Amino acid sequence: MTATAPATARSAVHAEGVWKIFNEGQPGEVTALQDVTLDVAEGEFVSLIGPSGCGKSTLLRVIADLTHATRGDMQVAGLSAAQARQEQKYGMAFQQAALFDWRTVRRNVELPLELQGWDKARRSARAMELLEMVQLADFADHRPWELSGGMQQRVAIARSLAVDPPLLLMDEPFGALDEMTRERMQNELLRIRRETGKSIIFVTHSIPEAVYLSDRVVVMSPRPGRITEIVPISLGERTEDTREAEEFYAGVTAVREALRGHPHDGSSVRARVGEV
Amino acid sequence: MAHRLRAVWPPLLFAAVFLGLWQLLVVSRDIKPYLLPAPSLIWQNFSGELGLMSSTALYTATTALLGLVLGTLVGLVLALLAQRFIVVNHLMTPLAAGLAAVPIVALTPILNNMFDITSRTPRVLVTMIIVFFPVYVNVMRGLVQVQPVQLELMRSMNAAPGTVVRLLRIPNAIPFFFTAMKVAAPLSVIAALVSEYFGGPQLGLGSRIASAAANTAYGRAWAYVVAAIITGLVFYLAVLAAERLAAPWTGRSRST
Repeated sequence: MTATAPATARSAVHAEGVWKIFNEGQPGEVTALQDVTLDVAEGEFVSLIGPSGCGKSTLLRVIADLTHATRGDMQVAGLSAAQARQEQKYGMAFQQAALFDWRTVRRNVELPLELQGWDKARRSARAMELLEMVQLADFADHRPWELSGGMQQRVAIARSLAVDPPLLLMDEPFGALDEMTRERMQNELLRIRRETGKSIIFVTHSIPEAVYLSDRVVVMSPRPGRITEIVPISLGERTEDTREAEEFYAGVTAVREALRGHPHDGSSVRARVGEV
Repeated sequence: MAHRLRAVWPPLLFAAVFLGLWQLLVVSRDIKPYLLPAPSLIWQNFSGELGLMSSTALYTATTALLGLVLGTLVGLVLALLAQRFIVVNHLMTPLAAGLAAVPIVALTPILNNMFDITSRTPRVLVTMIIVFFPVYVNVMRGLVQVQPVQLELMRSMNAAPGTVVRLLRIPNAIPFFFTAMKVAAPLSVIAALVSEYFGGPQLGLGSRIASAAANTAYGRAWAYVVAAIITGLVFYLAVLAAERLAAPWTGRSRST
């Protein structure tokens, strides 16, 4: 898919010429996003990576309609970002699990369904289904604080899937986890993706994480926040050996070089990844 | 159960040693009751007049409870309004701070003139005003100090503002509310008791401590003090029990 393809029914997210400027026209003006154009296909896994201040989280927030674009067109599931949020076309997970301490694990997963007005029996059944998917059914009646960080994050992912949205937006969801848990969670996420066929946009600042999970890695750079390169990754089905595979390291290298910035031959990296 | 016993015996032991030394000091130095009555004398007065003690305590406790409930309600309603409407917030913040600086109990004589001195009303009002402040300040903080990520989550789920208050802000404020109540409940007993010193019906602990002391019945005055301590403790323990029931998650480490 080309970057400027028009929004179609097959496009999960379509951003065209999106700008986000904080304090426009005032002394503290900051261009958080400059002319961002990006298409995410249905079922695609796209990571946003870049140093702090590159606007990756801002871009995710514009997609989620948590903040508005200053200029440009943002479509989510063929709707405006605001409509998509109102019609719950996406589920969102944050770096903090943001679970409510006063609710049990199951009732936390039920929260979005409650907001949609589902009746008690239906939402309870749906929550149990999701907890089984993230392998936490045994903890349904526990309180969030009784769970480890990784388990809390799995509850948050279950919650983001509750209304069965076609798109998942994830803002460094594994950023606070230790390395071992993190790799397990990555495999979990890929399994969930296989089972559900969701499109996923995933913000991270871990290069291996972005390469391991994604179909494409969107590399961004700060001041002003913009997309500098999009690195396609073709690792095929991820297995236990993937993290040791040469293609994986090639992908890591390609993303790292793109992050460093190499104005002379950005295209050669793409070609190299394509070869392997 | 064993660990609960371990938590209970140190203060009990301390109390026993303390009372023992007190008794020893009074007897050995022959200290006069108007200076310091012996624990045995206080206990004689207390246990000998149990009926009177409890009815007196009940009178003051009723005043305190009325003031506590009404003051809490006013604090809760105003905190909710201040969270919702910025105008109320701007209005209330200096007012609440100003109110906290007023020696409210000392207003009782004035309130006694404004309202019927033979009724509880002036005392209930004093208690209300004293209770209002910690409730308002703490609950307001609980309503406002919500994790930003939880607010974003609610917005991402398209929750209406009223729903955010109901499902996020109010539950978030409950631990803050109980923190306030742990201060306000014993405080309400003290406020009700002290306001009795300024006239009105002579049926409560404050009035009777004053009149017993004036009649040189020091043992009895102290017995009423003991009754006041018990009343305050009962109020405090009631709050603890309510917290266990209504907010079992408080005091736990917060999930992130």
